[in-house]
Amino acid sequence: MPEPLLSTALLERLERLAIHWRKSLPGLVGGHHTSRFGGSGQEFLEHREFHHGDDLRAVNWRAYLRLEKLVLKMFQLEPRVPVRILIDTSASMNTGKFDYVRQFAAALCYVGLVRLDSMTLQPFSDKLHDSFNAGGGRHRFQPVMDYLSALPCGGRTNFMDCSRQFISKFPQRGLVMVISDFLDDGEFEKPIQFLSDFGHEVILLQIWAEQDRVPPWDGELQLEDAETGQMVELAFDRAAREQYTAAFDAYAERVRHVAERSGGRYLGLPTSVPVDQAIFGPLVNTGAVA
Amino acid sequence: MNFLNLGLGELLGLIGVISAGVVALYLLDRSKKRQVVATLRFWTPAGSRTDLKHRRKIQQPWSLLLQLLSLILLLLAIAGPQFGVFDGPGRDHVLVLDTSAWMGSTTAQGTVLDQAKANARAYLRTLPRRDRVMLVRADALATPATSFELDRGAIETALRDSQAGASSFDLALALDFAERAQAMQGSNPGEIVVVGAGRIDPEKSTLSHQPKNLRFISVNSASENLGLRKVALRRSANAADTWEIFVSVHNYGLRAHNVDLAVQYAQTPIGSRRLALQPGADEQVAFTYKEKVGGWLEARLNVNDSIPGDNRAIVEVPSQGQLKAVVYTNDPQLRPLFETNPAIQAEFRPTSAYNADTKADFLVLDRFTPPSPPAIDTIFIEPPANGSVIPVKSTVAKAPLDRWSQDTALGSGIYTRDVVLDSAEVFTPAPGDKVIASTTSRPVVVAREGAAKVLAIGFLPTRGSMKFELATPLLIANALRWMSPGTYGRLELNAGSVGTITVPIEANTDPATVHVLDELNRDLPFTIEGTSLRFFSGSPGTVRVQTGGGELIYSLTLPELAETMWTPPQGVAKGVPATSLRESAATDIWPWLALAGALGLLADWILFGRSSIARLTSDAGISLPWRKAS
Repeated sequence: MPEPLLSTALLERLERLAIHWRKSLPGLVGGHHTSRFGGSGQEFLEHREFHHGDDLRAVNWRAYLRLEKLVLKMFQLEPRVPVRILIDTSASMNTGKFDYVRQFAAALCYVGLVRLDSMTLQPFSDKLHDSFNAGGGRHRFQPVMDYLSALPCGGRTNFMDCSRQFISKFPQRGLVMVISDFLDDGEFEKPIQFLSDFGHEVILLQIWAEQDRVPPWDGELQLEDAETGQMVELAFDRAAREQYTAAFDAYAERVRHVAERSGGRYLGLPTSVPVDQAIFGPLVNTGAVA
Repeated sequence: MNFLNLGLGELLGLIGVISAGVVALYLLDRSKKRQVVATLRFWTPAGSRTDLKHRRKIQQPWSLLLQLLSLILLLLAIAGPQFGVFDGPGRDHVLVLDTSAWMGSTTAQGTVLDQAKANARAYLRTLPRRDRVMLVRADALATPATSFELDRGAIETALRDSQAGASSFDLALALDFAERAQAMQGSNPGEIVVVGAGRIDPEKSTLSHQPKNLRFISVNSASENLGLRKVALRRSANAADTWEIFVSVHNYGLRAHNVDLAVQYAQTPIGSRRLALQPGADEQVAFTYKEKVGGWLEARLNVNDSIPGDNRAIVEVPSQGQLKAVVYTNDPQLRPLFETNPAIQAEFRPTSAYNADTKADFLVLDRFTPPSPPAIDTIFIEPPANGSVIPVKSTVAKAPLDRWSQDTALGSGIYTRDVVLDSAEVFTPAPGDKVIASTTSRPVVVAREGAAKVLAIGFLPTRGSMKFELATPLLIANALRWMSPGTYGRLELNAGSVGTITVPIEANTDPATVHVLDELNRDLPFTIEGTSLRFFSGSPGTVRVQTGGGELIYSLTLPELAETMWTPPQGVAKGVPATSLRESAATDIWPWLALAGALGLLADWILFGRSSIARLTSDAGISLPWRKAS
């Protein structure tokens, strides 16, 4: 029997958390976050004049008797915002990161299920693959683990095509968590900006293996790109390693900049940090969960 | 130099194979490593691309040479070379340690065997370490204690465990064994070293063959010792219940001694003598003692000498057995015939008191037919015609008893002349029955073998002229000997020393009837030559020699001491040799080779192994920003 992605002890700890977003996003009633959009909530928001087509049930009849004007009483809406987790399943993730990504995605999904959020797991590489919708509480978590455990890995990464497909597939704005190594050969800035401009709140979770940041090899190397299969032969030493690591750190900083520029958040995680420590440490610090 | 017994060519071949392996590992270590990475974004191609033929080039030749040189030095260190005079491969020596009984004698410096062990150790210290040594313990037998050993610890342990035996030293046998061992197992025979007192049997003092590589290391065994050589008991020819006891005492020392000899039977003193023994002299003392019951006979010399083991001898004397006979007769004339025999305890009962379950060794039925046949040996005297075990054919009168079967045990030695039986029954013997006596070819005495032996006498021995014939008691004596062979057999008891025992036996003794048994009734091997039977016993114990004519019991409790000093002839090396100068002139250089090899490997690791950055320049690495490495 395969070992479950997450241990029972970690699941118990995750129940104390909830997913948070910054933007006021619309959605159906039943969420647990307030929104600047008025609706049928419990908390009073404001009064506004009646317009044609408004619901008469929302008219403040006491104000009409006093002011002889139809005034609507607006309440603060607590919408159910969809949370979508984009999981990079390209071949580059198969270099020691994919199991970590699966565990991380499962943990986030469990946090959302506990708070009755609508969770969508959307794998992608050069296109969007079949998604998995989860909701309705923690007892719906087992199918999530089954889905993630069976998730294949391969192909190249194409952020632009995937972002276009995502916007067309999910017109309702919501929270988008992108879990990837962002180590593709193409551009990732425009697709992320595209998602943000469309109204999604973006959280970029960059996962890397230790060898992605600090290659442990020395001497003459024959390197093969996991996604493209391209080969390169070169000599590598300590000084080259230091320059490589500096370049990687600069690239990660650039990913952070893109995320923050678009109003989102960024978290970079090496796989050497255990999933539980990553969630209750850096991820909580970003405010994505609390 | 010895490297797993490999020759020079084999050693060089081994070094070549290992060197090839090292070069292969070196090239494998220095070859390009193939890795799959997530992206080539941060990698940049090397300034000069590496070609495939580049792999075949040795990029760090000094590192490779240093590794090879270090490994060769380590291999040579394992080979254990020596600097100096080298005198060829090791030799195989046989160390013969005398463990005879004499080696157990005590001197002021301890036992003689302890001195011999010290000399053996001194000899071992003079041998080069590459020489192998086999330790052989030798007394009457030569027993290897070790094989050819390089390990001096094993030889020392075997030396420490060696004990003095009970037999004498057979030098010829030990030398023959040593030569055979060197011929069969030794690759380069060394010396045959005999360490001991050199006291051997006078009959074996002359060696038919003397090894050329013999060395004799003697120990001082001059000590005063008096000892029993033999204690013998036999029944007196005059009285069956009397024992004749012979004790032989010997002076092994160099001075005359007076010694008290005491003999006791069942802890009862039966005699003592004061003996004056000259050096090398024997003294024999005889005692007689009358006793029927069994017990222990002990002969003791009251002296404190170097070998206490031969001052006391014990012989177990069996009780003198009597046959119980029940005679059913109504005729009192038969009484003298059985009562006068000391070997018979006769009980006379009337025929009316016959009991088929009578407890006895044999029955005598006088003119009487029992209602049920007896189950034990029986002598029928003139049995009634009706109901006789051996059928009665007829009864004759005035029959001359003229023939006895001399070839049978019952008729042996019986002769009658002009004896006429007043009346005699003629039997009809069955097949297998033996006719013992006959009158005009008609059987009157018949014997039948079986689980219960039967002797039928067709006449009354106490009637007529037979009453005065010697044949009558002889017939009864032969009948008893036939029924119970041990009763009248020769019984002789001896206390002697272990080793080869020679027993005089009767001529033409059938070897199938001879048994030589040890204490556990196991057969011991023996040989018969003429009137001598020989067997060997290497350890103290009791040996029974059973022949058709009797039984001899040997209580071999005395040590076998040989007093003849063996004088090594000319050409035999003597004593412990001086320490080998050739061995001391050679110097081991393997520690230096091992140190040099280790330092070479350390230097290689420091210079080349710890980091490979020496061959790379740092500016050949990364070029930023992101550019495809290929």
